[in-house]
Amino acid sequence: MENLKATLKEQIIERLNLEDISVSDINDDTALFGEGLGLDSIDALELIVLMENDYGIELANPEEGKEIFSTINSMADYISKNKK
Amino acid sequence: MNYINSYCHISNSAIKINGTISNSYEAMPIDEVIKAIYLSLDLKYSKFHKMDQLSKIAFLGIELMKQANPEISKYGENDIALLFSNSKSSAATDIKFQESYANGGIPSPSLFVYTLPNILIGEIAIRNKWYGENMFTVSNLFDAKYYAEYANILIKKSAEAVLGGWINVNEDKIEAFFFFVTKKDLKQLNLPLNTETLDKIYKGV
Repeated sequence: MENLKATLKEQIIERLNLEDISVSDINDDTALFGEGLGLDSIDALELIVLMENDYGIELANPEEGKEIFSTINSMADYISKNKK
Repeated sequence: MNYINSYCHISNSAIKINGTISNSYEAMPIDEVIKAIYLSLDLKYSKFHKMDQLSKIAFLGIELMKQANPEISKYGENDIALLFSNSKSSAATDIKFQESYANGGIPSPSLFVYTLPNILIGEIAIRNKWYGENMFTVSNLFDAKYYAEYANILIKKSAEAVLGGWINVNEDKIEAFFFFVTKKDLKQLNLPLNTETLDKIYKGV
C-alpha cells in the first residue's frame, strides 16, 4: 500500500504538471482539491484517465469521484480494492 | 492618434525589448526557452505549468512587457483590450491531442482545453484580471493594417489601451511579437500606431 501511495504521488505530479510541488509536499491525507493541492475540474478528468490507463479502473459513476479523489489515502484504498 | 509605447520579440535565441536585445542565447528548443524566461522572471504561478506552449509564450510575453513598461499594470480591469493573432492556430497542441488517443488511448482532457488558440487570451485575462474587449484571429501573415485599424477602433470605442500579439509555435520554432498601444506617447518612442510603423517594428527594421 505504501508503494502504491508513493507511485500515485509521482504520477499525479507528472500527469498534472505540478512542477512547483514535490512528493514530500503531498501527505497521504492532504486534500487533493480545494485548500489542499488546489486541483481543478480538468485535473479531476486527468485523474479519471490515469485510473483507467494505469490501473484498468473505469469509474462507472462520476459522483464517486469526489470521494475517491479526495486524498492519496482514498485513491490508494479504492485502487487496491478495484485494480484489474 | 495613438502610440506604440513598448514592444517585445521572443525567438528561440533572443528576447528583444523595444528592438534591443535584452537576453540572447544559443538557439534552444521551445520548452527550454519557456523555462529560461519563467525562471528569469522569478514567477510563482502554478497554473502556468499546465498551459500549452502557445499560452505559455503569450503569458511570458505579457509578463516581459509589464516588466519593461510598468504603466501596463496601472490600467483598470476593463481598460485594456487584447488583440491577438497567428497563422498556425493551435495546430501544435491539436497534434499532441490527436496523438493522445491515436493508439486506443483516452483523449487527454488537459490537452483538449488548449485546442483553441484564443485560450491564451483567457490565461492572460485570468492572470491580470483584465476583462476588456478581446479578439483572436487566424491569418496567413502578420497583418499590420488589421492590427492598426482594429486597435485604433478599440481605443476610440471602448479601451484605454491595447495589448497586441502575434504568436506561432511550429516544429520547435517560436515566433512571438507583442506591442502595447495607448492614447499618449508615454515612453517617447515616437511610434504612432499605423500600418507602416507596426510593420517596421514587427520586422525589426
